[in-house]
Amino acid sequence: MAEGIGQPTGGQSTGLIRNPQDFWGGVALTVFALFSLWAGSDLPGLRGFAFGPGTAPRLFGWLLVGVSLIIAVNGLITQGPPLERWGIRAPVLFLASVVFFGATVRPLGLIIASFFTLMIAAAASKEVRWGESIIWSAVLTAACVALFIYGLNLPLQLWPR
Amino acid sequence: MWDLLNNLAFGISVAATPQNLLLCLIGALVGTLIGVLPGLGPVATIAMLLPITYGLPPVGALIMLAGIYYGAMYGGSTTAILVNIPGESASVVTTLDGHQMALQGRAGPALAISAIGSFFAGCVATVVIAAAAAPLTSIALLFGPAEYFSLMVLGLIFAVVLAKGSVVKAIAMILVGLVLSMVGSDLETGAGRLNFNIPELADGIGFVVIAMGVFGFAEVLRNLEVTHSRDIVQAKITGLMPTRDDLKAAAPAIGRGTILGSVLGILPGGGSVIAAFAAYTLEKKLAKDPRRFGRGAIEGVAAPETANNAASQTSFIPLLTLGIPPNPVMALMVGAMTIHGIVPGPQVMTKQPDLFWGMIASMWFGNLMLVIINLPLVGLWVRLLRVPYRLLYPMILIVCCIGVYSVNNAAADVYMTAAFALVGYWLVKHDFEPAPMLLGFVLGPLMEENLRRAMLIARGDWTVFLTRPISAGLLIVAAILLIIAVLPMIRKKRDEVFVEEG
Repeated sequence: MAEGIGQPTGGQSTGLIRNPQDFWGGVALTVFALFSLWAGSDLPGLRGFAFGPGTAPRLFGWLLVGVSLIIAVNGLITQGPPLERWGIRAPVLFLASVVFFGATVRPLGLIIASFFTLMIAAAASKEVRWGESIIWSAVLTAACVALFIYGLNLPLQLWPR
Repeated sequence: MWDLLNNLAFGISVAATPQNLLLCLIGALVGTLIGVLPGLGPVATIAMLLPITYGLPPVGALIMLAGIYYGAMYGGSTTAILVNIPGESASVVTTLDGHQMALQGRAGPALAISAIGSFFAGCVATVVIAAAAAPLTSIALLFGPAEYFSLMVLGLIFAVVLAKGSVVKAIAMILVGLVLSMVGSDLETGAGRLNFNIPELADGIGFVVIAMGVFGFAEVLRNLEVTHSRDIVQAKITGLMPTRDDLKAAAPAIGRGTILGSVLGILPGGGSVIAAFAAYTLEKKLAKDPRRFGRGAIEGVAAPETANNAASQTSFIPLLTLGIPPNPVMALMVGAMTIHGIVPGPQVMTKQPDLFWGMIASMWFGNLMLVIINLPLVGLWVRLLRVPYRLLYPMILIVCCIGVYSVNNAAADVYMTAAFALVGYWLVKHDFEPAPMLLGFVLGPLMEENLRRAMLIARGDWTVFLTRPISAGLLIVAAILLIIAVLPMIRKKRDEVFVEEG
């Protein structure tokens, strides 16, 4: 596994939760599984021996509850590395650029949407060099237009309508 | 025998049309190009390049994807040898002796022997696939829903056993994939499930959305945090061709690697990793002087490279004959086939023989092209390795964005991909392996359908899975595998296999 920059040095966690990665991982998956069970609770289940729409989701959901609880309990009784710290800049800006693309590609067209998406994404890296990024974004936008619009004939709008 | 030759000849006639040859070439080239980039293995590469096949006819699209797959595998070996970064898990073993050879100034012979070995393995594996396809397809037709269900359970257990890290966590990931695959409308009743009446979720979560979010984007997020230290072999690569002694030493290793890889590749669950490792271990055991291994022994490059290529090709067998993807790459191929309206399974061979045999024949062409493009282009790949990551990731971003958007022309898919990127990032932070999730997601609907039918036919009798002999056999194998995987002694061994991957 990659070592995050924010990872504290020095081995094991102490305290009640000795393997926090597993413990919180298991807890989160349990919550996810219970949520899926709740969301599917209105679906009809088994009728005699015929499966209803809700049978399989419930089966997989309960299995996941069980396995996730094992992971969480395991997180209490084994030693493990501490939680890795989350980056802020990279995830926020990178995901923002993805969302920006989704929001603008139809109204603004591929060219404008791509260029600004790439510029937002460029800021996600700590090594960003703005002059280089502007040129590179323009080059990539042109390459995408050439590849997807002229090369592959995807039906995308090029400019604002 | 004549059938086999006729079929292969028919396949070659399909694959050798100028258009398909060109697609195969582009696939292999682009696959290598992307696969060489650090941090992009075959799964991410294929997920990223799926959209460029949307506009193609199905045969061409699959030929190109297969080319991308081999290209990415080969690119992974190139980085393993030159930079000591395994591009994909199957080339972990290659780093041991391959990088040592490179440090000794013998990167050329290492790359060449890896290409030659892969080509030889590819030739043999193509024939193996062609020969095994027909009999396996007829077995597949004997399978009822109970057998199919058990086979999929076995496949998933294989994936769990071979995934790195915790077995329980891998099982959890499969179940997450299964639960996610339930979103959308129920096939039999049409009832909306787990979709919260959001119209965008009515057809379920897109496969491309999950693949690109969890593999493409999450990978970028992870790489943005790591400062890349690359130990690139700076010395100019001279003397590309291996010497006569090299060939003499490598030939038997290539032969054994091919056999081992072809057999292990058929097993579901990620045979190429195990094949590479097993081939390396075998060579070390057979060697007169095992101490040479790890210090630049050419057999140590030839055997695992050959085996992993043979295995990655024979892993098409379960997909093409049974319609069951044995590993995440094949799961992506299922996704690609579905996009083109093909339902993978035994019926493909009879209903779309041009697709089936054309794809098999194209594997041979793909391998040939890899040898031809890679040997002269090694210098270019080395230069590509020096491209800084800050220029690389915007490229991945925009290709993935356009790709996801253009599946349905839906902005909602793009937003969901961003959400899955976050999920993938979280999984990495908690040491969960995302590959089994993708496999579970693809197999979910198939498992439900077969489980449902099996129960209906057996009138609700759960023991049907144990009373039908084939089904019982498959489940027993699955149970044994699972027990072996959890046993501490063998676990320790298994961790050693993956210890280099860190």
